[in-house]
Amino acid sequence: MARENIYQEEEFPSPIRQLWYTFKNTPVAIIAFSCYLFLVFFSVFGSFITPHDIVENNLDKLLLPPAWNDDGDVSYLLGTDDLGRDMLSRLIHGTSLTFGLSFVVVFFALAIGGIIGSISAINRGIKASFLNHFLDVILSIPSLLLAIVIVAILGPGLGNVLWAIALVSIPQFVHVTHNAIKEEQKKGYVLIPILDGASETRVLITSIYPNIIDKVIIQATLAQSAAILDIAALGFLGLGAPIPMPEWGSMLANSLDLFYIAPWTSYLPGLAILLTVIVTNLVGEGLRHSLKIQKD
Amino acid sequence: MLNFTIRRLNLLFFTLLMLSIVSFSLSYFFPGDALVNLSGEINADQQRTEQLVELYNMDKSVFHQYTAYIGQIFSGNFGISMSSQVPISDELHTFLPATIELCLAALFIALIFGVPLGFIAAIFHNKPLDKIILTFAMVGYSIPVFWFALILILLFSITLSWFPSSGQLNLLFEIEQVTGFKFIDILLSDSEYQAQALKDAFMHIVLPAIAVATAPMTIFIRLARTSMLDVLESNYIKAAKAKGLSQAHIIYHHGIRNSLVGIVRLIGLHFANLVTVAMIAEVIFNWQGAGSWLIESIFARDYTAIQGGLIALASFTFFINILADFLYAALNPLERHKKHGA
Repeated sequence: MARENIYQEEEFPSPIRQLWYTFKNTPVAIIAFSCYLFLVFFSVFGSFITPHDIVENNLDKLLLPPAWNDDGDVSYLLGTDDLGRDMLSRLIHGTSLTFGLSFVVVFFALAIGGIIGSISAINRGIKASFLNHFLDVILSIPSLLLAIVIVAILGPGLGNVLWAIALVSIPQFVHVTHNAIKEEQKKGYVLIPILDGASETRVLITSIYPNIIDKVIIQATLAQSAAILDIAALGFLGLGAPIPMPEWGSMLANSLDLFYIAPWTSYLPGLAILLTVIVTNLVGEGLRHSLKIQKD
Repeated sequence: MLNFTIRRLNLLFFTLLMLSIVSFSLSYFFPGDALVNLSGEINADQQRTEQLVELYNMDKSVFHQYTAYIGQIFSGNFGISMSSQVPISDELHTFLPATIELCLAALFIALIFGVPLGFIAAIFHNKPLDKIILTFAMVGYSIPVFWFALILILLFSITLSWFPSSGQLNLLFEIEQVTGFKFIDILLSDSEYQAQALKDAFMHIVLPAIAVATAPMTIFIRLARTSMLDVLESNYIKAAKAKGLSQAHIIYHHGIRNSLVGIVRLIGLHFANLVTVAMIAEVIFNWQGAGSWLIESIFARDYTAIQGGLIALASFTFFINILADFLYAALNPLERHKKHGA
């Protein structure tokens, strides 16, 4: 039978969907992505599935080693810390602090950075070059130094640390959006809506954004891995999450005195940070790889 | 080249201008009185306060205050530390060289191991060796430095006792501080135990430098790999192959030289990252540097110290950035004269 509609084109998937088609054929990337979703699940529902309360002290079971040790207890799978708090519960709960909050921070930075980047890409001349050079200045100051300055202004605390890290991660998004938009503006398809009389903002939203979103998302995963490390580092230095909170960095800092007698209290939070950052980086790397394959 | 130099120096000038504005405005952003934050003199009496008001032009407009502040900075007066009441410039003179020493040692390690590993990975592209190096780079890039430093201490200082776990030099050695750089001070001193002191200082810097170098090294591995892969795909390499040159010859004479140029430019960009890592490592290794000093001053609410530290560390990073730019321009004629590229 003849095709009913001869004008029907083959479907052209959107750039983000194309990215997904290539992405899902890379085994390592898809494993990392599953782990990533698992972490997202933990950070949303973590407080409901923990076997013990995170601040519950169990004075009979101080510094219990993990269950595979001879002295371990199965109901405390990863052992307990010096106050008898269950390590597993604290680690699971900590996912929402270290990993979940990094998600929020990056989302915030992406939104602000995207807006500034778009403004500087549309405008020419002094305004654009001022924005760019100002950001270059911020980019070349060490991020921890900036975070320390901001924490000094606002005072220590988890909330203030998050503001600091968000501000520190904005410039890279400005750069990425700015450069991506500039690159797209040179292409032919952008000219068509302009000839149709669409305003510059409308061209940006309907034509350019869908085509640069893949690059921005890749930058976001890289920014997230840096944000996780920063949150944990500031927690470790005692500037971030207060002591009872199971933020991985501050858990690690609290366990420093126990390093010799109860090594698992320091190994486990460190491993948690390491694995989370690796997973996030692998997802980002997988996305970048798929983008490169598409380009070829 | 002159044009290039002027452009870079112009950029450096505006960067420093911006930095000084940020730093000046901090004294208003920080909690407390702006004059106290600027000078750090918390216990000044009436007479001294009047002197300070005159010194910093506090009774005039913000612009006059700013110019007075710049004048003070250029005459080397950063105020005095709020917690120790020692001039910030003296503290910087003690602590900043230690940080610079650590950063340069780490940069050296990162380059000397990172770049060749990246080249090897590129030469064996998509072979098992490439995969191993990439996996190593991924883990090294993701490892939190404070945790890695602890593991290094546990393994090499406590279990194996090869290296000391903290400090810069054994207290037994009496080395007079001249420049603040431990190695230079030891060489300048006329101590009879000079050789032992040098060895001791070297043993002390190994672990912190490795901890700091790991993350930048993995970045250099990836940069070197990408840069080499790009070069190996280019036409002049194909031409060299067509000429019948051996693979080793191509890589040594054409590959390495051309890809190194691309890496030099990016060293500057990643230096800020290295300084961040060094600041954290200083705390763990009890390294008496600007990073640990800054972090202590947050807990002491020593705002003058934070201001001074920001200026010093940020200018140091800018300086290295510009230096890398010049090095790049010296190596790459395309950057100096656009006409070479046509």
